[in-house]
Amino acid sequence: MCCGTNNDNKRRVPGSMIFIALRQLWARKRQTLLTLIGVMLGAAAYIAISGILLGFREYLLDQMVNNDSHVRISAKARLVEETSFDHIFTGKNESLFWIVPPSGRKDSQKIDNVQEWYQRLREDADVEAFAPQLNVTVLYRKGKVTQNGRVMGIVPAMQTRVALLEKNILKGTLRELAENGQKIMLGEGLRENLGLRFGDSITVVNSRGDRQQFKVSGSFSSGNKQVDETLSYVSLNTAQSIAGSPGQVTDIAVRLRDVRKSMAKAASWSNDESAKVQSWEQINSSMLDVFQVQDMTRYMMSAIILIVAGFGIYNILSIVISQKKREIAILRSIGYESTDILTIFMTQGMLLGFAGGLLGVLLGYFISWRLSLVTFSSPMIKAKTTTMMISFNYIIYVYGFIMALISTTVASFLPALKAGKMSPIDIIRGQE
Amino acid sequence: MSIRLENVVKSFGDPPIEIIKNVSFNLADGEFVALTGKSGSGKSTLLYMISSLDNPSSGTVTLKDQNIAEMDQRALHRFRNQNMGFIFQYHYLLPEFTALENVLMPAIKAGIADAKRAEATALLKRFELENRMNNLPSQLSGGESQRVAIARALIMNPQYIFADEPTGSLDSANAINVMEIFKEVNRDTGCTIIYVTHDNDFAAMAQKQILLVDGQISAITVNKPNKKKQRA
Repeated sequence: MCCGTNNDNKRRVPGSMIFIALRQLWARKRQTLLTLIGVMLGAAAYIAISGILLGFREYLLDQMVNNDSHVRISAKARLVEETSFDHIFTGKNESLFWIVPPSGRKDSQKIDNVQEWYQRLREDADVEAFAPQLNVTVLYRKGKVTQNGRVMGIVPAMQTRVALLEKNILKGTLRELAENGQKIMLGEGLRENLGLRFGDSITVVNSRGDRQQFKVSGSFSSGNKQVDETLSYVSLNTAQSIAGSPGQVTDIAVRLRDVRKSMAKAASWSNDESAKVQSWEQINSSMLDVFQVQDMTRYMMSAIILIVAGFGIYNILSIVISQKKREIAILRSIGYESTDILTIFMTQGMLLGFAGGLLGVLLGYFISWRLSLVTFSSPMIKAKTTTMMISFNYIIYVYGFIMALISTTVASFLPALKAGKMSPIDIIRGQE
Repeated sequence: MSIRLENVVKSFGDPPIEIIKNVSFNLADGEFVALTGKSGSGKSTLLYMISSLDNPSSGTVTLKDQNIAEMDQRALHRFRNQNMGFIFQYHYLLPEFTALENVLMPAIKAGIADAKRAEATALLKRFELENRMNNLPSQLSGGESQRVAIARALIMNPQYIFADEPTGSLDSANAINVMEIFKEVNRDTGCTIIYVTHDNDFAAMAQKQILLVDGQISAITVNKPNKKKQRA
């Protein structure tokens, strides 16, 4: 054997530190397994909770965006005020003084300049399709059974290009409505409540008491119970006939080529005084607020879960380091630097985070998959939604994995740093 | 001179109490030295300062003409890794690694574990541990573990070996065996060995004895030289 050979030790050997870290992890199997389970459950819980919440949200957003319009142009309720007749009974520079000022509301709610709107929408490159609608409040009557509700007059060929109505149809076709003015398509809930079968006749009574007979040609289920128990579709001309107002349109539903432009588009169109222009976000703003609260809850829950998992790693590594002080001292005395010791313990924490995160992703997917098979009924959502709506968006899984990795990395850093800073002589003297 | 201590003082506490008081001596390459003295005389403290694990409160320690207090941390770690071997009273083997892997620990740090594997095997064979190479420390006796620790100290062919009470936790047969190994290593390799002991018989096995009393050198005794090989 020969002494005094000086080997060049400039080469860094992180692989060796990983080898030491792996061996130490393997040696304390029970601790490793328990920590791994902690991280795995944290990541899986995040994925499952996010899957449930985002799945429900995606469903509702899909309903909002695809079952209705991206932008809705609707008639504004116009109130009669003191100045409403200023330029009707008087000249331009004169004003009327009322002994008793007029009050109330103009009799019919409609968009005044429908043709101008049609022209404008046709010329707009961002508009994919639009459809005029007329909503009339009515009373449905079948024998002695009555129920109030709403008839929506549509142009089927145009309406189906704006909203994905056809996928909601249980029986019949929208085209039939245009072909025969005396056909009506009822919400499934409404049909059941009135005890109607397909082909039966139903009486629709308008606000003035005028009656019209219709034949039930089909039914639909939008997934929204309230809508399905009150709404029916007829052709636009038929609705105008029920309202007693030919040519009247209360709404224009617009579908844009890019749904993300809906807010900007609604803002740019909202200069018409007779019409109110709202994007789907504005129409559903209360629901979108609920989503924000849901997001905060989700992030808080995830943070708590991952902090708990992180603390598990922090505690275990702290205990391990305190048990391994003497070994750290001998490693330092044979040339291992403080960064080497830091690397050994950081690697252990990060490996647990990596493996736990990966297993958590798999478990989270499995839980989500099992949940997606669970059937349930909600008083709000009926008929079509029979299984839980779970999101399998890959972003949830990426976040779950990254959060597990970050929480364990942060949790291992402090004990690993402490281990790296330990002085071999202080350990030997028993001062650490 | 291989090791030079000049006016080395080490004090602890507040107000400071001097444990090592103005110690100076020189050691040549290949010396086999015992630091002796009663408990509390400062022999372990002095060993840790000579071996770079601790810094003196004042004075200088020079190894291979380098003042170790002035070396940067990376250079000091490299110096320790390639030039020093440590043996403590307890073996401090890493419990997750086999005897062979423990011997290779310094080589793993240097990134030359594969190149040193045959040498580690030879060392273990030389210490009669050829059948225990793949055993974990928990499967070894105290004497076997200490021999593995000695093999670990030798694997990088160091110029210096520092041992703090290397026989302290061993029975007399194993303790004599360890001391014989030290003598043999010093004779065969020519490396400098400094060990702390309070056992007069083991101290007498050294070529030079430095007796400490209350942190000061009381006597330096030179025994019969241990015939040795010249270092390359």
